[in-house]
Amino acid sequence: MTHRFLPKTLFIVTMTLFFGLVLVDHLTSPTLQSTGAPSDLGNACAPCGAPCT
Amino acid sequence: MSQSAATKLPAPSSEMFVFALLGTVWLVVAGLVGLDTGANGVMLFGLGTALGAVFLVFHYGFASGWRAFLEAGQTMPLAAHFLLAALCAIIFIPAASIGLSASGALAPISVSLFIGAFAFGIGMQLANGCGSGVLFTFGGGSGRMLVVLPFFVIGSVLGSLVLPSVLAWGQLAPVQIGGSFSPLVRTLLNVGLLAGVSLLFWLYGQRHDQTSPRRLIIASVAIAALCWAVFIASGHPWGVTFGFTLWGAKLASAMGFDIASYTFWQWPGPARALAHSVLADTSSLMDIGILIGAGLWAAFTGVLHRQRWPNWRQLVGGAIGGVLMGVGARLAFGCNIGAFLAGTASGSLHGWLWFALALGGSWVGIRLRPHFGF
Repeated sequence: MTHRFLPKTLFIVTMTLFFGLVLVDHLTSPTLQSTGAPSDLGNACAPCGAPCT
Repeated sequence: MSQSAATKLPAPSSEMFVFALLGTVWLVVAGLVGLDTGANGVMLFGLGTALGAVFLVFHYGFASGWRAFLEAGQTMPLAAHFLLAALCAIIFIPAASIGLSASGALAPISVSLFIGAFAFGIGMQLANGCGSGVLFTFGGGSGRMLVVLPFFVIGSVLGSLVLPSVLAWGQLAPVQIGGSFSPLVRTLLNVGLLAGVSLLFWLYGQRHDQTSPRRLIIASVAIAALCWAVFIASGHPWGVTFGFTLWGAKLASAMGFDIASYTFWQWPGPARALAHSVLADTSSLMDIGILIGAGLWAAFTGVLHRQRWPNWRQLVGGAIGGVLMGVGARLAFGCNIGAFLAGTASGSLHGWLWFALALGGSWVGIRLRPHFGF
């Protein structure tokens, strides 16, 4: 498809917006002392943290 | 210079702008991560960046490799994928017994696994990329993936909302292959199994005059080395799709949707991720690194400038594929990385079942592709 609005333009806009949101989220959320995964806590039985039944 | 010659040349200034933009973002994110989670967080972010670049450099894809197998009997890509899993298994399975504070990815054998992996397989063929593929090609500026990734995120949030109900349809506890044996025997058994399957695919290809591109082998070794490093640094195998789910859930929350009231988001792990920064979750942090790593490489090599839109039917197929992969990844406990690679390399039966079901879904997806302009 030939189009004047190239993917690169949308890519730059999307990435700028995305990283803006990442920074806002980081600066307004509590942080942890170390990175974590969902399966670290609880009676997790799967990588997403689903509990064992 | 003629106009046609000008359109063929990269635009250095805009590529340099993207490179500088992403480089600056990388430094800012690394600084913030370093302040909170220290050198370990920065290392995981850096490993994500390296993975993004390596995947794009080698064009290491699962969806295209599986399609080559199902359509043309090409087995060399599958040989490379199982080689990668075998290399990862060397440290994933005996982790505790060799003094690592890490454990593999085990998951239940559930109805949700069967449905999710099959749906994921369909989706990865319609979208022309799997979990890792969508991420690194998005980072490389792919027009198709600019559409697929948002729908993948939406699908994964939907998947998180329905997973608890679908799990109730039936599940067995995780099954470790050779679980009753010692860690050494279990490791040898699983590495042998994975390497054996890789060898069988390679021998079949050799007998049918297929060439094994050296880049596939080099890429498998390089990615395995990075997976080892991620495993040691994070304590878990590398996973991609939980990060997407978290991004979508946070956006939905910001838009006033009470996502935290759903069962999935009340489980301790997801609840913690939702309550804290996106840079504090390993999967999310590494996904951001992969996007930047692929973007930096694409800007550096001029790949960004060469991206074009696919036709609108392919974009519709990509959107549907994205939703199917998102829902499928949550129901099946991950994608080709978090479920197939991490699962098989951890000696978990669910990884093998995921492979079989997703391959079946891919077969269906390939037959649907002509309806979406492929």
